[in-house]
Amino acid sequence: MAYSDKVIEHYEHPLNVGTLDKEDPTVGTGLVGAPACGDVMRLQIKVNPETNVVEDAKFKTFGCGSAIASSSLVTEWVKGKTIDEAMALKNSQIVEELNLPPVKIHCSVLAEDAIKSAIADFRKKQEERKAQASGVAGSTAAQPSVQPQK
Amino acid sequence: MDPFATLGLVPRFDLDQGELESRYRELQKALHPDKHTGAPASQRRMTLNKAVEVNEAYRTLRDDIKRAQALLALHGNAQASGEREVADPELLMEVMELREALGEAKVRRDLTEVKALAARVDALRAGVRSGLVAAFAALPASAAAAQLSPLAAQVSRLKYYQRFLDEVSAIEDEAEAS
Ligand code: FES
Repeated sequence: MAYSDKVIEHYEHPLNVGTLDKEDPTVGTGLVGAPACGDVMRLQIKVNPETNVVEDAKFKTFGCGSAIASSSLVTEWVKGKTIDEAMALKNSQIVEELNLPPVKIHCSVLAEDAIKSAIADFRKKQEERKAQASGVAGSTAAQPSVQPQK
Repeated sequence: MDPFATLGLVPRFDLDQGELESRYRELQKALHPDKHTGAPASQRRMTLNKAVEVNEAYRTLRDDIKRAQALLALHGNAQASGEREVADPELLMEVMELREALGEAKVRRDLTEVKALAARVDALRAGVRSGLVAAFAALPASAAAAQLSPLAAQVSRLKYYQRFLDEVSAIEDEAEAS
């Protein structure tokens, strides 16, 4: 079966291949697999925590051409978007853009799952940070409230 | 279609490959078009359909993963066809690391490393496979979905390892060709 030109283009010159520091609190990592074929994909986003805008995105995909093209496309798409906008991404948009045949749909699903799980990871990290910060802020905030009584 | 029934075999994971092979050959011979040249067209068509079905069943049962999926399907687990399923993060991490290591070894053209990785994954696969042999043997005929899903997860694991080993074969073929 012939790949569409767009798939070939992304496959031969994939954009955003690489890794971001997964310990960075502003980086969300999504690691997903397709049990249908046994392929795996890692997609990472770096998000500005003030604006929630995706500033960078990288991926590493061990899979077929369609999976590589899907992750290349998704990383391009999400850059500059807010995480809420990125969350709304559907695999059908990938299928349409890359003209994927039905047997290759699971490959685009992989990319959709990967971006969603990267966003979920980022949100979880931010919440943990906030919980920590408010814990610390709570103990320091106790002091000023005592002060007026002096 | 139940491939075990098609070949007249008792459904089980730990199938005797010799028995499968001889069952298949027998049926293939019996269904051969040459043996049915005198039969009416409708019957010849039926024989042909049956032969196609037998081939299909044989291909399914010969393969560990497909055979396991067929068994799960017989037990009523429709998920066997690879629907969306949340994989165990540890497994994904393990597979990702293995694939990265393999990718690097490929770039370095380090065939010794490729072989070492293949041996490691092959051992992992053998472990999962013997676990499945035991688990399927212990599975009651009327197993509940909750009893099937851990087996389905192990079948997925097998799939990831198989994919890795296919990649190894592709690398080795490429190395031989160059
Ligand atoms: S075939 Fe595995 S991701 Fe496309």
